[in-house]
Amino acid sequence: MSWKRKHLIDVDDWEREDFELLLEQTSNMDSILDRSIKKAPALRGKIVVNIFYEPSTRTRTSFEIAGKLLSADVINWTASGSSAAKGESLRDTIWTLEAMGADAVVIRHGEVGVPYYLVEKLKKASVINGGDGTHAHPTQALLDLYTAWRELGSLDGKKVAIVGDILHSRVARSDIYAFKAVGAEVYLSGPSTLMPTDINSLNATYEPNIAEAIEGADIIYMLRIQRERQDAGLFPSLDEYHRRYGLTDRLIGKAKKGALVMHPGPINRGVEIASSVADGPQSFILKQVRAGVAVRMALLYLMLGGVKE
Amino acid sequence: MKWLVNGRLFDGELLREGLCDLVIDKGRVAKIAPAGRFVPPEGATRIDLDDRILAPGFIDLHAHLRDPGQEWREDIISGSRAAAAGGFATVVAMPNTDPPVDRSSLVRYVLERGQSAGAARVLPAGSVTKGRRGQELAEMWFMANEGAAIFTDDGLPVSTAHLLRTALLYADDLGMAIMEHPEELSLTKDAQVNDGPCAARSGLKGAPKAAELIAVERGIALAKDTSAHLHLTHLSAEESLEAVRRAKEDGINITCDVTPHHLTLDESLVEKSGYSAAYKVNPPLRSGRDLEALWEGLADGTVDAIATDHAPYHLDEKDLPFQEAASGIASLECAVAVVFDAWFKRGKPFGIERLLQLFTAGPASVLRKSDLGRIEEGSVADITVLDIGRERRVEAKRWESKARITPWEGSVLCGWPVMTMREGKVIWVDGDSGLHAERD
Repeated sequence: MSWKRKHLIDVDDWEREDFELLLEQTSNMDSILDRSIKKAPALRGKIVVNIFYEPSTRTRTSFEIAGKLLSADVINWTASGSSAAKGESLRDTIWTLEAMGADAVVIRHGEVGVPYYLVEKLKKASVINGGDGTHAHPTQALLDLYTAWRELGSLDGKKVAIVGDILHSRVARSDIYAFKAVGAEVYLSGPSTLMPTDINSLNATYEPNIAEAIEGADIIYMLRIQRERQDAGLFPSLDEYHRRYGLTDRLIGKAKKGALVMHPGPINRGVEIASSVADGPQSFILKQVRAGVAVRMALLYLMLGGVKE
Repeated sequence: MKWLVNGRLFDGELLREGLCDLVIDKGRVAKIAPAGRFVPPEGATRIDLDDRILAPGFIDLHAHLRDPGQEWREDIISGSRAAAAGGFATVVAMPNTDPPVDRSSLVRYVLERGQSAGAARVLPAGSVTKGRRGQELAEMWFMANEGAAIFTDDGLPVSTAHLLRTALLYADDLGMAIMEHPEELSLTKDAQVNDGPCAARSGLKGAPKAAELIAVERGIALAKDTSAHLHLTHLSAEESLEAVRRAKEDGINITCDVTPHHLTLDESLVEKSGYSAAYKVNPPLRSGRDLEALWEGLADGTVDAIATDHAPYHLDEKDLPFQEAASGIASLECAVAVVFDAWFKRGKPFGIERLLQLFTAGPASVLRKSDLGRIEEGSVADITVLDIGRERRVEAKRWESKARITPWEGSVLCGWPVMTMREGKVIWVDGDSGLHAERD
């Protein structure tokens, strides 16, 4: 089996086999992370450029570590303090970076669809979406999938409840697709004001009552609530939000025993998740972070190195 | 003097049986007769239309010519030539320029620049309010005297119901309509696409159809209240059409137009194109169901005109990621073909006469100009010759317009205008169409 995808913009065009191959490959990379010398020569001589137009700690660092562990040269380019701050257009920035020899660009941007634009404009380099506005965050979905798969094995028939601000969440959009593609059922919960109007087109089941949404769930996935959503009038207060939708010990007590609690980070303690749950035995939040490195190693390897028969 | 022979004459209402010859003299239609029935006067230039449709000059009620103030996008000369090359003998220039066309001196500027272009007739639309600020009425009587054709704050709705009501009454005294851009702004802040599947799957802020409907219903209520003529432009939603249909049944003085892009493109293209800014427009492309409702509106007379809402931008403002790109579709030079091509592909859902009316008598009645949009002896010799079998590729790089991005780029469309005349002068000929005529 070989890997034919040059870019990673979204997982919405991935087949089940693609996910499965990626999971296997991630598993191999994961074992590298346990070695005392965590370095492999696979991507020696390759240049990966992280282009980050939005602040990010874990995604950027994770790509950087992943690239470095595979011996690629990883360059970080951030919008502040760069030519973008002088008004350079995105197009000119990426052409410049490509001219310098970038083999892959990882792009994080606050606007929907920017990675597609890069694919259209770049001649040679692979494009990896590190999150585009509210649209997609495919590497997050893949690391979430890996975390769950590693713990639960096959995800066929498993129930995933994603709770919070679906409307503005690129993580939710990519996760819904990824989990469904490997056979899981996906439920969404949160106030209607934080759901898209045409929620049916997300192909998940909406259940406004969180207790019902997480009932029997194998995975409870909490999304970050941003303060500006309150300012926009989408809910009355963080306190009320926490009381209605925050994941607390009380709710966990009613959920399936051993359900995985996940969150893409950074977490808002006391808003979408109580500290006791975030730090509790069912929390997989830090395991997700580690999986993020392994998944990104696997991706860079597949995209830049390819799989030999 | 010109002698057009062997045309299939559409007079603004009906397509006449058989072929016709037409003599044009001093900018007017001097004589109409069945083909071959008379000998033309000495010295007349003969143009053989060879069975093509001979229609009144097409009228575009809604185009952004960007002049004064945004000439890097378009100017009145390029816009007027683009209109002619799109088969339009008349184009109404929107007043959301910089400064806005909100006074008689600016109306005169637009008219004079339009005349100097020597192409399509440019009719200025005046702003409803001073500076388009939505606070006080602009000097509509002065502007009307100077030649303004209609009033609109397009780009924005008239700010308040009170102002719209006042404007309707004031314009009605002048025998003119108010053109309203129907949008409830509190529902469309930062909106990028229709509030449908694309918005759900991308998280892009959606503009709900209710935002249009609320403004449409406001307009209808005020048109009823004042008995004045309100024209609703670029309607995009099924519900809006239904509201207009009911209002017309109730005898309210309402007219409306729809655009070629809302008739042929739907919201799914935003995703399918990988968020190409070519599909970014306001009102946004809607669902397939809305698109069907617009065609029903064309068929049953709910819609009075097809207007382009030609919104040209510089490449650097449009060739950008979706969210930062400017909103608007440029179509002046392919709009007629876009609509005729779609009409063919849909299996001609209604007669061609109806379709032709939407570009001629329909918009003329919105402007209340009885001298435009029809052909009879004595009428102004504005003529569009249409070749319904002609196929041509859309290539924006060859346009007269300064716009270079259009959703139809590369499409081969069937049914193109091949010659445009204004007041008896040939202002554009498609040199590759086989029609032998010279530009005046």
